[in-house]
Amino acid sequence: MGASPDAGSAYSKKRSGELWDALAEVVRTCRREETELLLVAGDLFHRQPLLRELKEVGGMFASLEKTKVVLIAGNHDYIRQDSYYRTFHWSSNVTMLKEEKLECAEFPELNLAVYGLSYHSREIREARYEQERPRRRQKYEILLAHGGDENHIPIHKAALLAQGYDYVALGHIHKPQVLEENRMIYAGALEPVDTADCGPHGYVKGELDEKGCRTEFVSSAGREYRQIRIAVDKAMTGFQLREQICREIEAGGTQNIYKVRITGYRDPEIRFDLRGMDVYGNIVEMSDETKPAYAFEKLLMQNEENLLGSYIKSFLGAEENSVEYQALCLGVRALIDTRAE
Amino acid sequence: MKILGLLLRNFGKFQNQKLRFESGINIIYGENESGKSTIHTFIKGMLFGIGRGRGRASVYDTYSIYEPWENPGYYSGILRFESGGKTFRIDRNFDKQNKKAELVCEDDGENLSIENGDLELLLGGMDLSGYDNTISVGQLKTRPDQSLAAALKEYATSCCASGNGDLRPEQAIQRLEEQKKTIDKEIREALYERQRQRETVEQEASFVWREIHRLEEEEEQIRERIRQAERTRREQGEHKRLVDEIRPAKWRIHPLEIVIFLIAIVAAIFLFQRPLNYFVVIVVFLACTVYVWNRMKVGKDKNQVSPEEIMEEILPEEERASVEKLGWELERTVREQKDKQIQYENLQEQLAEMDVVGEKDQVLEKKRQAVQMAIDKMNELSEELKLRLEKQLNEEAARIVCQITNQAYQRIRVEDNLHMFLVKEGKRIAMEQVSQGTAEQIWFALRMAAAGILQEEEMPVILDDAFGNYDDERLKSTLGWLDEHKKQVFIFTCQKREMKLLDEMGISYHLTEI
Repeated sequence: MGASPDAGSAYSKKRSGELWDALAEVVRTCRREETELLLVAGDLFHRQPLLRELKEVGGMFASLEKTKVVLIAGNHDYIRQDSYYRTFHWSSNVTMLKEEKLECAEFPELNLAVYGLSYHSREIREARYEQERPRRRQKYEILLAHGGDENHIPIHKAALLAQGYDYVALGHIHKPQVLEENRMIYAGALEPVDTADCGPHGYVKGELDEKGCRTEFVSSAGREYRQIRIAVDKAMTGFQLREQICREIEAGGTQNIYKVRITGYRDPEIRFDLRGMDVYGNIVEMSDETKPAYAFEKLLMQNEENLLGSYIKSFLGAEENSVEYQALCLGVRALIDTRAE
Repeated sequence: MKILGLLLRNFGKFQNQKLRFESGINIIYGENESGKSTIHTFIKGMLFGIGRGRGRASVYDTYSIYEPWENPGYYSGILRFESGGKTFRIDRNFDKQNKKAELVCEDDGENLSIENGDLELLLGGMDLSGYDNTISVGQLKTRPDQSLAAALKEYATSCCASGNGDLRPEQAIQRLEEQKKTIDKEIREALYERQRQRETVEQEASFVWREIHRLEEEEEQIRERIRQAERTRREQGEHKRLVDEIRPAKWRIHPLEIVIFLIAIVAAIFLFQRPLNYFVVIVVFLACTVYVWNRMKVGKDKNQVSPEEIMEEILPEEERASVEKLGWELERTVREQKDKQIQYENLQEQLAEMDVVGEKDQVLEKKRQAVQMAIDKMNELSEELKLRLEKQLNEEAARIVCQITNQAYQRIRVEDNLHMFLVKEGKRIAMEQVSQGTAEQIWFALRMAAAGILQEEEMPVILDDAFGNYDDERLKSTLGWLDEHKKQVFIFTCQKREMKLLDEMGISYHLTEI
């Protein structure tokens, strides 16, 4: 919540509202499915929450009659000296683990203990989750953790697995990923909040009983950032390119947000005009990485003696994505275009 | 290219004059005014046409000078030449009414088009100024003009690009500069866009900041009011000291006080001796009166002060309620302040994140670098090619000069704009310091060197009385060089000196006498 990601010209304005809708949808799902436990692994807010925002979330959680909610604060919404987290009163079904040290919330009716800690600063470099073992107070034990990189409580997968938690719910990294099947999972952001958050987003749904933990990823995000790569060839024109982008976006769903990369070798005479390509207003990034299909070797052979030849020769062996290669293409094009007829 | 023969149908003084030429040295000998220069002009006219001056300039232009006196409508001729193993014929009519120019390949009868540049192609891209500046040396015109310098400079970098037209590096660089400007503009626009986004956030932040200050002020005001309320309450408290406490609130003067006053007066009567006691009694009485009067006045004043205080005095419960309300107000402003503070800090955080350079900027920056690199490299290479050509020209010209002057000058330097220096025994000698003859020989060498570099197809060398200032030795060396290096040479002369020297050297030549 509280983020305002770039979602293309058509969706950016309502995007921050959509993020709230996503949480509301999860709460509705919990109510419908009578979920017993809802875990929020930090960074519920992108920045320090305002009181009214907390009230809004508090209200949502309070509406869950059968669900216990456990949450922690992450590095984005860390508990500052004046944070509302310190003073906010959650409803009785919500437990916030506010301490900087690992603490435990017990739910005897569920035979469950949830461990976790909250960030009180932007960064924590200590590997705090591995310092303490679960105390075996309840039959089932879950760790609610946030971070995992160098500056945000480093996590060593093997060491943490050895601690014996039944499940480790991880937060911080936006992209959902499984570190250990059914045991240690980054749920990822509920909705993508940054143009770098490509791929599906949602939450992890799991069941924990004597047979162990079984989880599945539920893709719930209303929009997805998707990357499409379009390879052009010498025959491709600007119009065809536009058509193809349209087709790909239609195939991938127009509600999604796209990053378009155009690669390959284009006709040297053509330069794509990228401005007209965003038909649905849902392209946030477009990069033209095409290279003109010059046959440098042949050109060099034909022009060994003149400027063009020595120009090509001076850039020979440049890597394809380097500045040098780009300079080579630009220079050759300029020379060829300005030839006297 | 080799000129095979001419037919001057009607040109200047000539009518149906046929001339035949051979490979090697051709000597066209004739006395003054025999028409040597006319033939020279004819060759040039056949190859490049005769341009007409405009207005007054037309009176003495080449066209008018060689316009035949009789039959001007028949102002024409033919030039036959061989190029690339094929024989061609140029047939021109110079007359302004019947102007025509034909180019025919005699071997296969193919009709070529002069307008479309076929002749130019056969001449190896040489144009009129190239011709004048290199192979064709007119009378007393050995020194090539500035256009040769320009031609050489252009040549240095241009060369044919795989037969698809000449490269023009200067234009290419200009094109790249334009591209750089466009990229700069894009970078500026991206920066501007970011700035605009920043400004929106900054504006919001400053709005929140003002809000915080407004709330702070509000808080201060409320606090002030609370303080005031407390102060008035305290003041009231001070008034009601001891006596006031005993005294019922409604009474301004307690009855006990009156009793005390009476006792004091009575005591004064008895305590002091007469007549002093009268005086004391009066004083005590007055003092009591003053006190009573004052008390009465205090009560009166209170009734007249601000209505607020009246309210407070009249309704003490409400007074308490208002202080309580102020407390709530205070709490609200403090809460709002905190809210705004957090909002403000969140916005600052957002601003800090905005400073990070985006991917798009990096792409643009990279492209800018690439364009700059292309420009630099191209400049560097053109300079290099120019230097290489200069060196080549220097060496070639020096070789020729060396041979012509019999090693008198072994090195020459051609600098910018064909400014030349001779090097003799390690000293630099400017062209202005050498004799006319030597200067002409050096210019000649430069022409020949430039011709060797500029011309793809070797062209005949045409020398119109160019050896006037040469001594015999140097002329001999020059003729020797020409015989050795040139396929076809035309020497127009009014002297028998060249023939004599060629005979001496045993070099065969073809003589045409006019």
